[in-house]
Amino acid sequence: MTMNSPATIDALVAGLRPVTPVRPRNGIGLMLVAAALVSVVAAWRYGVRADIAAGSPHPMVVLRLGTLLLLGLATGLAAIASARPAVGISRSGWQWVLAGVLVFPLAALIAMAWNGSAVAMALAPDYGIACLRISLASALFVGGALTVWLRQGASVNPRRTGWLTGLAAGSFGTFAYALHCPMTNIVYIGVWYTAAVGIAALAGRAIVPPLLRW
Amino acid sequence: MRTSDSDLAQLMARAQAGDAASYRALLTACQTWLARYYRGRIAPHMIDDLVQDTMISMHAKRATFDPDRAFLPWLAAIARFRWIDQLRRGYRADETELPDTLSVGPHDDEVGARIGIGRLLALLPNGQAEVLRLIKIEGLSVAEASAATGQSESLVKVNVHRGLKRLASLCESE
Repeated sequence: MTMNSPATIDALVAGLRPVTPVRPRNGIGLMLVAAALVSVVAAWRYGVRADIAAGSPHPMVVLRLGTLLLLGLATGLAAIASARPAVGISRSGWQWVLAGVLVFPLAALIAMAWNGSAVAMALAPDYGIACLRISLASALFVGGALTVWLRQGASVNPRRTGWLTGLAAGSFGTFAYALHCPMTNIVYIGVWYTAAVGIAALAGRAIVPPLLRW
Repeated sequence: MRTSDSDLAQLMARAQAGDAASYRALLTACQTWLARYYRGRIAPHMIDDLVQDTMISMHAKRATFDPDRAFLPWLAAIARFRWIDQLRRGYRADETELPDTLSVGPHDDEVGARIGIGRLLALLPNGQAEVLRLIKIEGLSVAEASAATGQSESLVKVNVHRGLKRLASLCESE
């Protein structure tokens, strides 16, 4: 039933209750706690790489952990910012981070093109499946926490928020796995890590928007 | 007399704290602003419903307003979101049941120009903006829009679909 405007205003005023403004710092805190939690659980359950435990990680490990952390933060912060809409606010920084991260699969493709015979060994499918399993299970937890927080927001672009949530969850989930991951070759990282983040992003795009409907 | 953005922001901040009088004043000002915002951007007989839908959304999501920020860009983002939603629903529901009244009057005022709907439409490719304007705002049928633009009927439908999708992605663009 459509009310006339004065009746709508009366009804809305009658329904007024004090509200606490949505605070992005709460969303950021929740996301970081969830990311830390899955990292601790993954480290406890599967162990941490010996070089990390010894305090002298392999350069590739530093590179992948730093990249995943950066992508998770950039996309997670953009998703959280979308909870408070406003015309004229640019949230495109995450796209540059994502473009930078794509160097990994690109480097993997180049390596595969030059060393075709070594690809099967470098891909290590058994480890790869474990990578997907652990990364995506962790991503599910981070993505779930982020989505619960985002539901109080007012995203005016739920599709993009879905992509961002999936990318953030996938990055933090893969970060948790990367603490344990024994592989350091670019083919493995470029293929399996990209697959884990990509699947999480697709899942975010499919699952999150209907949950943000308002 | 028009209420300034900072006045509206203060009213909303008080409304968030539960002040009913401030909220009533805010809603009354928003109702006028929204009616002007939508004028010429949707069939005239739909404006009242769209204004009310937007006010209901604004009520439901009032906690997402940050009192330290400007008010109208926040309201405009919600207004655009609701407008696009209305265009999308209208296209699905009554493609052949088109409004026969039309007045594409003066658009956004000086405050609204930066955050107005006209600005949003200007970001679309001409072919998409043109058919959206003809079908969704002026109420022409697909066949009439096709004749008016020289686009085939299938291209008109594709452009309406793509235009709505693109509008949704540009909701917060200036």
